[in-house]
Amino acid sequence: MNKHLSIISNIILALQVLLLFCCFADLSELPIWIIALGKLHPLLLHLPISLIVLNIPLYFITHGPNKPHNSLLIFQTALVYTALLTTTTAFAGLLLASNGEYDEETLLLHKWLSVGLAIITHVQIYSFQWLQKNQRVLIGSYFFTLVLMIVGSHHGGSLTHGEDFLDFKSEEKVISQFPVIEEKTTVYEAAVSPIISAKCLSCHNDSKTKGGLNMSNFQLLQKGGKNGAIFTAGNPDASMMIERMLLEMDDKKHMPPRGKAQLTNEELMLFAKWIESGASDKTNYHSLNETDSLKILADQVRGQSTNLAIEQTYTFKPASVSTIQELNSPFRRILPLSASSPALSIKFFLKEKFTLSMLEECKSIKEQVVEINLSGMPIDDKALPILTQFENLEKLNLNTTQVSGKNLGDLAKLKNLKQLSLTGTAIDVNALNSLSKSSIKTIYLWNTKINEADLASLKKNIPAINWDLGYIPDKNEVLKLTPPKPLNTDQMIIGANENIILKHPLPGVIIKYTTDGSNPDSITGATYKDPVPSSQITRVIAIATRPGWISSDASDYTFFQKGFMVDSVRLINKPSEKYNKNAQAVLTDLKKGFPEILNLNWLGYKEQSFKTGFYFKGESIKSKIVLSAADNTGAYVFPPTKIIVWGGDNPKNMKMIGSIRPDMPIRYRSNGVIPYIVPIVKGKYKYIEIEATNIQTLPSWHGGKGEKGWVFVDEVFFY
Amino acid sequence: MDNNEKQFRLNITRRHFLTKAGLGIGSAALGTMLFKDQLFGTSDAASVPLGIAQFAPKAKRIIYLFQNGAPSQLETFDYKPLLKKMHGEELPESIRKGQRLTGMTSNQESFPLVGSTFNFAQHGQSGAWVSELFPHMASIVDEMCIIKSMHTEAINHDPALTFFQTGAQQGNRPSMGAWMSYGLGSENANLPSFTVLLSRGRGNGQGVYSKLWTNGFLDSVHQGVVFSSGEDPVLYLKNPEGHDKESRRAMLDELSQFNAEAFNNFGDPEINTRIQQYEMSYRMQSAVPELTDLSKESDTTIKLYGPDCLVPGTYAANCLLARKLSESGVRFVQLYHQGWDTHGNLANDMRMQAEDVDRASAGLIKDLKQRGLLDETLVIWGGEFGRTNYCQGKIDAVNYGRDHHPKCFSIWMAGGGIRPGTVYGETDEFGYNITKDPVSVNDFHATVLHLMGINHEQLTYKHLGRRYRLTDVAGNLVQGIIS
Repeated sequence: MNKHLSIISNIILALQVLLLFCCFADLSELPIWIIALGKLHPLLLHLPISLIVLNIPLYFITHGPNKPHNSLLIFQTALVYTALLTTTTAFAGLLLASNGEYDEETLLLHKWLSVGLAIITHVQIYSFQWLQKNQRVLIGSYFFTLVLMIVGSHHGGSLTHGEDFLDFKSEEKVISQFPVIEEKTTVYEAAVSPIISAKCLSCHNDSKTKGGLNMSNFQLLQKGGKNGAIFTAGNPDASMMIERMLLEMDDKKHMPPRGKAQLTNEELMLFAKWIESGASDKTNYHSLNETDSLKILADQVRGQSTNLAIEQTYTFKPASVSTIQELNSPFRRILPLSASSPALSIKFFLKEKFTLSMLEECKSIKEQVVEINLSGMPIDDKALPILTQFENLEKLNLNTTQVSGKNLGDLAKLKNLKQLSLTGTAIDVNALNSLSKSSIKTIYLWNTKINEADLASLKKNIPAINWDLGYIPDKNEVLKLTPPKPLNTDQMIIGANENIILKHPLPGVIIKYTTDGSNPDSITGATYKDPVPSSQITRVIAIATRPGWISSDASDYTFFQKGFMVDSVRLINKPSEKYNKNAQAVLTDLKKGFPEILNLNWLGYKEQSFKTGFYFKGESIKSKIVLSAADNTGAYVFPPTKIIVWGGDNPKNMKMIGSIRPDMPIRYRSNGVIPYIVPIVKGKYKYIEIEATNIQTLPSWHGGKGEKGWVFVDEVFFY
Repeated sequence: MDNNEKQFRLNITRRHFLTKAGLGIGSAALGTMLFKDQLFGTSDAASVPLGIAQFAPKAKRIIYLFQNGAPSQLETFDYKPLLKKMHGEELPESIRKGQRLTGMTSNQESFPLVGSTFNFAQHGQSGAWVSELFPHMASIVDEMCIIKSMHTEAINHDPALTFFQTGAQQGNRPSMGAWMSYGLGSENANLPSFTVLLSRGRGNGQGVYSKLWTNGFLDSVHQGVVFSSGEDPVLYLKNPEGHDKESRRAMLDELSQFNAEAFNNFGDPEINTRIQQYEMSYRMQSAVPELTDLSKESDTTIKLYGPDCLVPGTYAANCLLARKLSESGVRFVQLYHQGWDTHGNLANDMRMQAEDVDRASAGLIKDLKQRGLLDETLVIWGGEFGRTNYCQGKIDAVNYGRDHHPKCFSIWMAGGGIRPGTVYGETDEFGYNITKDPVSVNDFHATVLHLMGINHEQLTYKHLGRRYRLTDVAGNLVQGIIS
């Protein structure tokens, strides 16, 4: 034997020993990159197949009288390579199979047939020399190899492509024939029976009754098979029929059996629902509610469900992608209705960027456009001649454009137009009457000159169109205005000479206000013209009035001028840990809190009262203090029951200089921040101490009655 | 590439080259075998959204009027006369079946049933029951589909809200609006495709956090943009003081040149995203003021939404703004209205909350309809869970409270693709358990995506080694509410 061939032959020997070893080892433990070599199997396998087939003609070409002396070597080379490739392929196949994803039974056959094939091709290399005298055995062995290869690779093919790959019968689709639904059609006739006919009847009919079951009519269906009834009316879970249908595909009892047309999910659900509903052949299809799941399933199975999105089909061709891309810009958006639809919609944005030519350019896709939205764009009647060229247009939005309507009748040329929006345009009745011959189904007319009398005449003249006039305010309904607001409500602390500006968003509103704490009404209040000058504490109560509207509730805002500067703060009682952020600074930082956000800009006290000392520099004479506290009854935050103020030179030398007892709420009330003003004996105090006591027992009307309440303080002012 | 870099790249020896080439080609070859997906991308068409609906959508845009804090179903749409009859009697254990309680009522000794203090009446052709608190919503009942059989897994606000918004209770997943932006792309390139509007009612409130409108693991362009009520509706959109439009344009032009150069050098697609974001912000400078200008609203509009609609930051103003944003092609407008957490003082709080939302919610539907937009806009109204049929705290003649209840609650939807004038699902006569057609939050998501033309099982994003969906591994289409 040639040296090169003998080397390969030895390699084959080594590989085959390894192959046999691998047949019994668990290969899934191997490193991933070796396992990955198994993916070469589908590529390699074609090589030995070709060679084994080729070996037969090659045998006849190289054997016989008058052949060149090296012809046998050619054949021998072919045999060696056949063995090498068969072995390598089998090895790759073992690796591929190690992931365990294949059907065990078929795999086992394929594996042993292929390993056998590899060994036989190897044996053939050696037997070639010995059997030269018995050519019949030799050629017989090559034919045997061919047959073995065909059988072995058929099983391999089944593993990859599935057993029914060669089954021609499964190519024919089983299509259920559904009867037309008439007045008396039952659900059984409409949906259940057609599925049985299509997918069960071939094995369970009058001539062939597998399992003793005949499903050809309802009575026989009820009777069941040799294992008894196949369903329990009202209980799909206890019905053998459903149980069998739900079994795994591999299960021998799975119905319909493997290889036969299977049930879709909807069909299975329909059987289950039908059994649940009593498995009757009497229930009329029309007696079911539209939302009844049995009816929905029946419709789905019949393929006429109104619930599933049914794409409208268009006969025109899609526009080219490049044309659409060219036309698309941030100000002109062209989108297909869906991924599979040739129909397009165009929408324009930003009126200052709009020019009529932007609409004109879209004529290159005029066949495909079914929706145009020009809402708010500066177009007038000149746009209509362009629009009428979009022959397949179905939906046109011209809301708040300058279209006058004088050539609106041209839209009747658009034979597919269904919906037209003209909200906020100058359209009139005559213009609309010119649409009498159009295909339009709905026209939107809110906020136009059209009144209810016009509407009545339109409805009479063109009853085919649904005229939508939109919302018409009830003349008898009088609405309440919103309260006026100061310009800066988030900053209630103002400078000494700052004025208070009041605002209301509705044009034509007159603001009436007071600064003396009394409630203004449309007569007593001062009319707001110029900004209100402020004092130390300015409480502005204001209402908004306007003829034809109910006056607003009073808005009540208290503004604080910045008082005497505090030098330092001494927290005698510590605030609760949860509500003590920036504890030293909060009381004098000139930032007000909101009664709902209690962990910001507030100090909260529950276990102890609010008790704090303030040091001052300078000789200023103080006459009152203002303690600003939260009021949020829902969150157990109540006014202090009493506020006591002491004054003096220092904490050791002071006396009581003022106190008040605020009123307690008597029911839940809306949240707020309330300034408590405590007049004090005038003096040049260097130290002032304030104690505000939290409520000790919440009143009986409150959800937390008997418990302690909270006091929250955000700011203290000294004047 | 500058010269230094060229030098650096050329500075290799033959040995270097061979080692690197050998290793490189070898590992590339191995790589192609082992990690085909990562190298060449997947051919799995479903994992790449097209930026357009997969099939004909019923709705193009969504406005979600989230009632944060959970409005009681028993005071809105789920009329239960039995509770009034059994007022003060104990909730039977046969109904509760050991359902878990929140920490707020688990210590309560008794669970007295409490009937609604508000009267109910049937409205419209559908005959749906609506409480007297909502006369305006009652007037559009024939446009709505009320789902009385919603249920959720969470029992507290934050997880329930997060579940509703992101499909998972824990947070860190993309919000519904972000998924929508990812799946459908933007309609109007001058505005974000997902915007968020916040308002606070007068009732007991619960917070909302930016994690509710997060893009999660999706690209940051899909994050919700908050329009606030202050002087600057969109933060950082205004030109800095002393800069006019022209100088801004000039600056952006220069900047985009730099960015384009950086893109040429490094090829990072995020740079292009950034260029586009700057351009969009510039265009937003024109688009946003037009939308937020309330000075030109007609008296009819003000009456439609209620006078509050002129006060920025109120629910009514947000509804009006939502209509304008949606009309301008914003895919998903998410409103949150706080204040529905009626543990106590329900009678007062519900009345105040209803006053704030009733007219504007109904006004929005009417406004969309009269503009011919309702058929392409899906409006959703509802909270994160329901409230108990028993009283939390003390019952008295005029007031009571209700705790959190995840086992049933009511929401409504209207517009694009919704079957109008229907009531879907039923609860038992105690208003505690669902007796017919339950709808889970996942089902709700699947249905909303379906209405937008997306199969919820196919809108996926691969993250941390697996594909995520808004509905994750659950969700069934609710056919009964689709027209």
